[in-house]
Amino acid sequence: MRIAVLMKAVVEPESRIGLGSDGEVQCANFRYELNEYDLYAVEEAIRMAELYDAEVTVVSAGPEEAVQSLRKGLAMGATDAIFVPVEESMGDAFLSAEVLADVLKPVQPDLILSGVESNDLGGSQVGVLVAEQLGYVAATMVISVKVGNDGVLNVRRELEGGNFVDVDLPMPAVLTIQTGLNEPRYPSLKGIMAAKRKDLVRLELSDLDIGDSQLVETIEYSYPPRRERAQMIEGSSEAIASELVSLLRAKDKVL
Amino acid sequence: MSREVWCIVEHRGGEVDNDSLQLFGAVHRLDGEAVAVVCGDEVAGLAEQISGECDRVISLSSSALASFTPDGYAQAIVPLALERQPSAILTLHSHFLGRDLAPVLASRLGTGLISDCIDVEWRAGFVGKRLVYRRKLIATQRSIVPGIQVATCQRGAFEAPESSGLDAAVEMLSVEIDVDAVRWKVGEFDEAEVVVGDITEADVIVAAGRGVGSKENLDSVQRLAKAIGGTLAASRPLVDHGWLSRGLQVGSSGKTVRPRLYLALGISGAIQHVVGMRDSDVIVAINKDPRAPIFEYADYGIVADLMEIIGPLTDEVEALRG
Repeated sequence: MRIAVLMKAVVEPESRIGLGSDGEVQCANFRYELNEYDLYAVEEAIRMAELYDAEVTVVSAGPEEAVQSLRKGLAMGATDAIFVPVEESMGDAFLSAEVLADVLKPVQPDLILSGVESNDLGGSQVGVLVAEQLGYVAATMVISVKVGNDGVLNVRRELEGGNFVDVDLPMPAVLTIQTGLNEPRYPSLKGIMAAKRKDLVRLELSDLDIGDSQLVETIEYSYPPRRERAQMIEGSSEAIASELVSLLRAKDKVL
Repeated sequence: MSREVWCIVEHRGGEVDNDSLQLFGAVHRLDGEAVAVVCGDEVAGLAEQISGECDRVISLSSSALASFTPDGYAQAIVPLALERQPSAILTLHSHFLGRDLAPVLASRLGTGLISDCIDVEWRAGFVGKRLVYRRKLIATQRSIVPGIQVATCQRGAFEAPESSGLDAAVEMLSVEIDVDAVRWKVGEFDEAEVVVGDITEADVIVAAGRGVGSKENLDSVQRLAKAIGGTLAASRPLVDHGWLSRGLQVGSSGKTVRPRLYLALGISGAIQHVVGMRDSDVIVAINKDPRAPIFEYADYGIVADLMEIIGPLTDEVEALRG
């Protein structure tokens, strides 16, 4: 069995994100990290590989910084990695899906895992679109996954409001993984050393068979309208505590 | 191209998910005819529940649609959409129709998808606005393909129109589903436990998030909750870490709460959390990141290290309440 994991390098959540005078997102000082949701997907793939004797290929199409994320995946225990440099400005889910699907076609994974969404653009489309491109079946918001004796995937999906539903589906399949279904491991020193000898293949967009498939363009960025902000309370810890309690009591009458 | 905008209605257990009605509000933004599309096994009752809220209802019924499956729903919707060419198809950005179905519909209709929209309009094409980079920016996106458009709408972003009280025409169609091509086999639903001391009943909630830092620090949060007469709750990361039980989770995959007082401690304010608590009467946020989005929803904001402030705050509350 071969499992592929889609990994995305995303802008660090704490990054100061603003617009330049040209109205474009200023990304010169962006720092990237592995999308948190994908970390759970990698961990799940490695656990499954240990249980079901599978190999794990980690794949990313994105900024150069994604190489660090792929190395992390290798250090956690993935078998090999594939990287395609793609400019952030091309960020259209269909295009990303087409690139990833074309990379994965020769790999022929039985199972593809990704996080449920990216925590920068958050479209939550790419996993399902990759499935559609490859003719695989997909299920999103997966909180647990097992392979039955008949080779059928038994997954539990998370619904709104704390409800769940169990679904069986055949492989090959794409599952998008929700946080919290496992505890991602830290790469061991041995893992980090071993990762250096593992294959990290670099493909260029020009190596791939992709058309002009962009379907959605971003025409402008803007700041969200400012809400009436909270009344900020400042001072020493004691002064803040005292002022807050008296406001909640005297003004809002909730204490 | 017709003016029809199809709104795929979310339902379960014979009840329409009322947030689906917000889609009709999005149709107003598109100056379209609000056509509710209901897929299911027994759909007459569902059609009746929404016929006063929209311009027209199309119900697509088959025993193979008793449970939601992306393949089943797509088989029901795609051929009819290709025939009738609605200008757009909308769903909520929900766990079923938004995440599993919308990309499948877009893909099989050969069109793009703009997901989790907070606004939609026609502006030299179909345009959707969505929050990106953890809600620090709005990206305005436009589909560059002509024909049917597909978009998902954020829960709470659009207002459901006032009920017209008039019964819209209901078109009942039975559809043929090739069950061999339906790859999901749907099993049991597991309903959320109803627990005593449910956070949805609480008057005062003290909610802890990632900023709490360690499991040990939860003891201080617990002490504050006790002093203030409140119930402890959590944002998702703490539940994921196994520090607190899932029944205490506030947000889209947890509970929706409306207490008189909500203390958000070390919670950054991801949309998944905010949708579960923004209707609380008074919200207090304590976070060390002055740019944390939670401050946009709070009545009172404190930029501080939680662990430095929680002791004095507990003392102050204890002094007040004796």
